[in-house]
Amino acid sequence: MNEALLEVNNISVSFDGFKAINKLSFSIFEGELRAVIGPNGAGKTTFMDIVTGKTRPDAGEVIWGEKNFSLLNRSESQIAQLGIGRKFQKPTVFEEQSVYDNLLLALENDRQPLSVLFYRRNQSDDAKIEEIAAEIGLADRLERRAGDLSHGQKQWLEIGMLLAQEPRLLLVDEPAAGMTLEERDKTVALLRRAAKTRAVVVVEHDMDFVRKLDCRVTVLHEGSVLAEGSLDHVTENQDVIDVYLGR
Amino acid sequence: MGGVLTKFLMKHPSILVFLGILSVFTLFVTVGSEAFGVGFISTSLVKTLGKTLCFCLIAIAMDLVWGYCGILSLGHFAFFGLGGYMIGMWLMYERTRLIVENSMANAALPPTPAEIQEAIGTQIFGVVGGAEIPTIWMFAHSLPIQLALVALVPGLLAFVFGWLAFRSRVTGVYLSILTQAMTLALALYLFQNDSGLRGNNGLSGLQNIPGLEAMPQSELSIYFFLLSALALGVGFLIAKLIVENKMGNVIMGIRDNEARVRFLGYHVETYKLFIFVLTAIMAAIAGAIYYPQAGIINPAEIAPIASIYLAVWVAIGGRGRIYGAVIGAALVSMLSSWFTGGQAPNIELGPLRVVWVDWWLVLLGLSFVAVTLYAPKGVGGLFDLLKTERSK
Ligand SMILES: Nc1ncnc2c1ncn2[C@@H]1O[C@H](COP(=O)(O)OP(=O)(O)OP(=O)(O)O)[C@@H](O)[C@H]1O
Ligand SMILES: [Mg+2]
Repeated sequence: MNEALLEVNNISVSFDGFKAINKLSFSIFEGELRAVIGPNGAGKTTFMDIVTGKTRPDAGEVIWGEKNFSLLNRSESQIAQLGIGRKFQKPTVFEEQSVYDNLLLALENDRQPLSVLFYRRNQSDDAKIEEIAAEIGLADRLERRAGDLSHGQKQWLEIGMLLAQEPRLLLVDEPAAGMTLEERDKTVALLRRAAKTRAVVVVEHDMDFVRKLDCRVTVLHEGSVLAEGSLDHVTENQDVIDVYLGR
Repeated sequence: MGGVLTKFLMKHPSILVFLGILSVFTLFVTVGSEAFGVGFISTSLVKTLGKTLCFCLIAIAMDLVWGYCGILSLGHFAFFGLGGYMIGMWLMYERTRLIVENSMANAALPPTPAEIQEAIGTQIFGVVGGAEIPTIWMFAHSLPIQLALVALVPGLLAFVFGWLAFRSRVTGVYLSILTQAMTLALALYLFQNDSGLRGNNGLSGLQNIPGLEAMPQSELSIYFFLLSALALGVGFLIAKLIVENKMGNVIMGIRDNEARVRFLGYHVETYKLFIFVLTAIMAAIAGAIYYPQAGIINPAEIAPIASIYLAVWVAIGGRGRIYGAVIGAALVSMLSSWFTGGQAPNIELGPLRVVWVDWWLVLLGLSFVAVTLYAPKGVGGLFDLLKTERSK
């Protein structure tokens, strides 16, 4: 049987008695592109929080990789080092630092303080950074302060940082929020390219965007999976229609 | 290695500018001093300048930990004071031993080691009603060990404190309060007579260096001034080596968005701990050079307010630029001693009499508020303006 890269089994989490995630199960395979949709408060961000170690679930398990590691007792930095990268809902780049420095911080390299302290700029890293910058369309802005970029460029920089991390799984929370149509199309292309070499989970509200991603879709509602399948399949589902039209 | 350093210096000319200014200043003071030059700079002024350079060094440490790493520590003067105590123990013990041995040398019977120990104990601890030398003074006879303790004791305190605080993810204002509590606790402990460090008397006579009795203070003061300048120069270089490299990117990232750095795979707590301990040691070294110039150290020096002043210096000088901290510390501490030293002319405003000794704090507070509101980049930010003017 083909093993899943990430397998989430029956997780639940509640905040002050409110069940944000309710017996959620989800799995994704190596090299798969997956869209996750759902109304506000469905638990999409919380799901990512759990996978990346920010929030501990009350019950259930999160299993990673072919060695079936449990991610539950690992810290955020350990999980990141295992190969899970995350883009936040709000674009979070380091505004005070240059595009180059942002990418350098993310670039796959030893994360120990001593190696960081004695890190020396080298050609192979520079080449990697230039390659990624070209991919996200920021090749001519490497020395710019990230805070001076446009909103869309910041989102791409953040995706670029994820690519630089060379993760096996990318979790992307609402990458297209606040983008123009043209920027959205570029983002779709970027994510589809990224998914060629790794698994990518994209949370997005915009149906048009999800359609362009052209991939399997998981619908979350009140903390659990409501439907799963192609976009056409899930949009025909009566439960999904009810949830989106507000019953 | 030399090649790397040269390349680094070429890339950051501001370091050379700083070291150049520092060297010229050092030369100027030496040439103006009573011992080695024309003599228009008094020995006490040389000491003040040397002490100011030590303040500049601890300000660099503060800028690293606060301006770059975002940890608003209000406890770094505790490390400064501890560094002073560690060197002070050797200075006081050795000098007392030499005096005691000298005075006993003429006795009819040669004194036994136990008698010498007791005489030293009485000399040092008589003021707090003791004659026994406390265990913590067991290495006080050894300069190398006490020098090592200058770094080790504050470093260990910073390590334990930082490990506990960062591991529990205490941040922001809560962390600042904890650091204040740490300084306060340390000061209160030292105030006790049985702390083993002479309670509120502190350690004194530190300006007399054992073995160098023949050297006049005018000469000694220049050596300590030069040592302070050297320490400041090295501290500046180390700080720059850290912040202008990838380490700087990581700690500035932690300052601006700790969670994001975590999700990039960096163990944030370890980095904070590294910076916290490193800057504590820098502060301790500054203190160890400062107190032999001040001559006396007592627990009041570690009072929580001192560490708050340190933050004010760095804020006024401008955070996150290293040289800003130096400017802030030099400017504010010199002004402070001018105003509180009674040299500033008082102002008569009819019924209101502005006595600077009392009003200086008001002025400082107002400047702090003004800088925070109108020039968040501090005095150092003015240089940015110059730079942008030029590049236009
Ligand atoms: N730390 C928290 N404390 C309390 N409640 C929380 C916390 N995090 C999330 N919630 C709640 O859990 C529910 C799910 O939130 P989540 O952010 O996962 O939704 P989402 O699907 O990402 O929504 P959106 O589309 O608006 O981003 C919401 O009702 C939210 O208010
Ligand atoms: Mg969300």
